[in-house]
Amino acid sequence: MKVFSSTCTFDYSWEEVSTANWRKYCPWNDKSTHVVAVDTLSRNVDLNTGILRTERLITCIQSVPQWVLSLFGGSATSHVYEVSYVDPATKRVTMCSTNLTWSNVLSVREIVVYQPSLSDPTSSTQFSQEAKITALCGGWQKIKNKVEEASVERFSQNAKRGREGFEAVLEMSRRVFSEQREHDSNRLQS
Amino acid sequence: MAASIAPECNDIKEKYDTCFLKWYSEKYLRGNTTSNDCEELFTKYKTCLNVVLKEKGIDSMLEDARKSTTKEFDAETLRRG
Repeated sequence: MKVFSSTCTFDYSWEEVSTANWRKYCPWNDKSTHVVAVDTLSRNVDLNTGILRTERLITCIQSVPQWVLSLFGGSATSHVYEVSYVDPATKRVTMCSTNLTWSNVLSVREIVVYQPSLSDPTSSTQFSQEAKITALCGGWQKIKNKVEEASVERFSQNAKRGREGFEAVLEMSRRVFSEQREHDSNRLQS
Repeated sequence: MAASIAPECNDIKEKYDTCFLKWYSEKYLRGNTTSNDCEELFTKYKTCLNVVLKEKGIDSMLEDARKSTTKEFDAETLRRG
């Protein structure tokens, strides 16, 4: 098993980040082009805790290394199952995901958390990400290691691009929101 | 907003996503967690989507993933919460 983890801070409030997070993979994000579809499968609010639980299906098209394709067959389209929890009381978003495709040879479990940063909780948000990648294919440890290494490498590239893309989404969201507010207040005045 | 895996569901998905985002930012985050503004759109979107998930065999992959992860994922949130 290999573990990939990273943290970073976004200079936006938790409310802005948790809202923009729903459209992380929109055309404003031109970095995460490997994500081609995001579908919501179920959604409910727990009456006792107020926690919003959402199940989503994320569809990606990856440029998979040729040797991986030759080894496992299959196509470059892959699916991820994600369950996310928004807790408005503690201001925490937790997103857990697992791969649906190639799950017989590779297990990728990821947990992402967004919460107000400790240093500036009202206007900045801490992002933390941890992925556990395990090759399940029987046989040579050498091959397993190679599969895990290639997966971690791809994961870390996508994570970096994901951050850059999400910054763009946050900026656009703030701009659109303030334009909307201006529009609304002009309408009220006229 | 991101596209749907099923192009024929894009229109209804777009409507639902827009409704949800408005509800999330204007109601849910402001403490009104029980209102149910987008349920009708979601039902239509799911009806469209489920046909395609079945056709592509993704529904059974999802069932397996649910079985093997739900407890672990739910516990993760409780632990952190």
